[in-house]
Amino acid sequence: MKIAIAALGVALSVTMPSAISHAQTKIGAIFDLTGGLNIYGIQQNNALNLAVERINAAGGVNGEPVAVIGYDAQSELSKYTQYANTAVLRDGIAAMFAGLTSSSREAIRPIFRKANIPYFYSSLYEGGACDKQTFVTGSSASQQLSVLMKWAVENYGKRIYIMAPDYNFGTISGHWIHEYAAQNGAEVVGEDYLALSVTDYAPTIQKIQAAKPDFVVALPVGANQTGFLEQFAAAGLKEDIGVVSTNYGSGNQQVVVSPAAGEGLIASMGYFPSVDSPANAEFIELWQAKYGNDTPIVAGAVDVWNAVHLWAAAANKAGSTDPDAVIAALESGLTFNAPNGNVTLEPGSHHLRQDIYIAEGDANHGFRIVQTYPGSAPTYENEKCDLIASPDTAEHFTPENE
Amino acid sequence: MEPDYLATVLLSSLSSASILLIATLGLAVVYGLMGVINLAHGEFLMVGAYSALTATQIGIPYVLAIPVAVMITMLIGGVVEVLVVRRLYGRLFDTMLATWGLGMVFNQGAVLLFGTVSPGIGMPQYSIRIGEFSLAAYPLAMIAVAAGTLAFVYLLLTRTVYGMKARASIQEPEMAQAIGIDSSRINMLTFAIGTGLAGFAGAVLLPIIPATPSMGLFFAVKGFLTVVVAGPVALTGTALTAVGLGGGASVTASFMTSVIGDVFFFLATALLLWLYPLGISSKWRRKL
Repeated sequence: MKIAIAALGVALSVTMPSAISHAQTKIGAIFDLTGGLNIYGIQQNNALNLAVERINAAGGVNGEPVAVIGYDAQSELSKYTQYANTAVLRDGIAAMFAGLTSSSREAIRPIFRKANIPYFYSSLYEGGACDKQTFVTGSSASQQLSVLMKWAVENYGKRIYIMAPDYNFGTISGHWIHEYAAQNGAEVVGEDYLALSVTDYAPTIQKIQAAKPDFVVALPVGANQTGFLEQFAAAGLKEDIGVVSTNYGSGNQQVVVSPAAGEGLIASMGYFPSVDSPANAEFIELWQAKYGNDTPIVAGAVDVWNAVHLWAAAANKAGSTDPDAVIAALESGLTFNAPNGNVTLEPGSHHLRQDIYIAEGDANHGFRIVQTYPGSAPTYENEKCDLIASPDTAEHFTPENE
Repeated sequence: MEPDYLATVLLSSLSSASILLIATLGLAVVYGLMGVINLAHGEFLMVGAYSALTATQIGIPYVLAIPVAVMITMLIGGVVEVLVVRRLYGRLFDTMLATWGLGMVFNQGAVLLFGTVSPGIGMPQYSIRIGEFSLAAYPLAMIAVAAGTLAFVYLLLTRTVYGMKARASIQEPEMAQAIGIDSSRINMLTFAIGTGLAGFAGAVLLPIIPATPSMGLFFAVKGFLTVVVAGPVALTGTALTAVGLGGGASVTASFMTSVIGDVFFFLATALLLWLYPLGISSKWRRKL
């Protein structure tokens, strides 16, 4: 009995404040604010708060201010499920914005599916997530690689070497590199998949020299793997062999890499701070006013910014935050004038049609955009995933399982 | 197999082993001489890397930034010994837990001080050519650095008064105290030297491994396993283990894949610990 009373007390103390401040819409956020992944998580969280501020300044959602209930996942998978459950059971959130790694998304996706709460995943990733409640605002591997591979084969040649991390982002990206190599009449002459803990790149660099590629597709994860790029340049290989990437810069690796190694590297992503548009200028101004200009803004931050605005637009359009109405509005072909160009939420696949940029590292730790592929479709996701026709699909499609 | 490829593989594997040895030596000294496993060793390495980086940013030449990093990490190490480690002597697991927690504090402290990304200093753009292959010169220079560091620590422990006192304090603590050796001061110095070596590693490896708050994690596991496999003969055992495990993993990775290189490292570790539960040097007669 004592326990029951104590539990009631806790329950009351938890629910009371929210009962008083009734007229607000709550959204949840789980990002890695501490631990090894905070290189991404802090900026994702900053972008969320900035977007909410902007929406609230413009009158909120359906006339109610938006309040954020945020959690720090500490770069640990178990924290994601724990906080996702807390957010669903206790906080009464209208939408959730969370996750960086694919494993974190796959861990919490079922929780929001069961609770029927729209869940936004905002990071570039290997692609293929398909779920009625899940919306992906980052670019997928096939979306980026389809344009990057075409560009690289035209500019460097037909012999390709793959250096990728040894988990699903790397191996699925590897699959797409093979596929787009074949489409562009090129061949993969060698590949090496590295554990995330690897700091010894000498073996990879020798194998690259033995294979004599025209360019290397390098997908280093985090700042540690940028050691590869330093050694590659110091060995004098940069003169003859191009380096292209779909994630170089996603964690501001270009800041860590010295100009000697970083100049001339090619990255393809859905956002670079050097995008020239009024929407991006406004976004950067807001960001720097609040967070300063020490660190360049990463693509993942813009993906979160876009997710929050798309959700707010959908909730306004639906006139409520009722999950079914919001999901229906999200599936109505919403567009948003985003910092990275106009984006369109594809109704069937819940992925974004967005501009993909190819940029070249400059001598000042930054990027110069060399080519823009406007309105690139998430082709693979659109082909596999149609949540209008079959709303019960809950899958993570991978090209290797076919 | 072409001879030039073979030569590059051997050279670069030796350099990989040397990098592992440089990163592990401080851990080995603290474990071998004090019986303390310092799980914050990787974070001391990180502190060394950031110290050297900050020193170069304020205009100190890189070569002089290395001793600055050593001094800073020695100072922090000495303070940590007095505040934490000293209170936990003889309690191996408590020390591990305390230093593990300390590592987390350092990690987050680095995030708050330096943010998540800092510009690296880059690698000197020199390379050497062997036949058709080209090797970055700086990682190869680490072979000489590792040999030099090993010789320095060996001489420090065998040819100096401090070294004799340090060995006396760990081998015969009561006798050492009886003849007037202040063993708690000696231990503080030994711990500071261990963390100073970590700081040296972080600074000297900075061109190869850029400074990031979580960089310590990448050395914690392999460094720890190397020291455990090496066993009680801290210096020779660790040098041999680093060359065997680190070099072996690198050779394996060169001929197969990086993942198999890692598999080699961990399988060899498991096998050696199964054969020598107290470390490969547990039956050796030498002491260092």
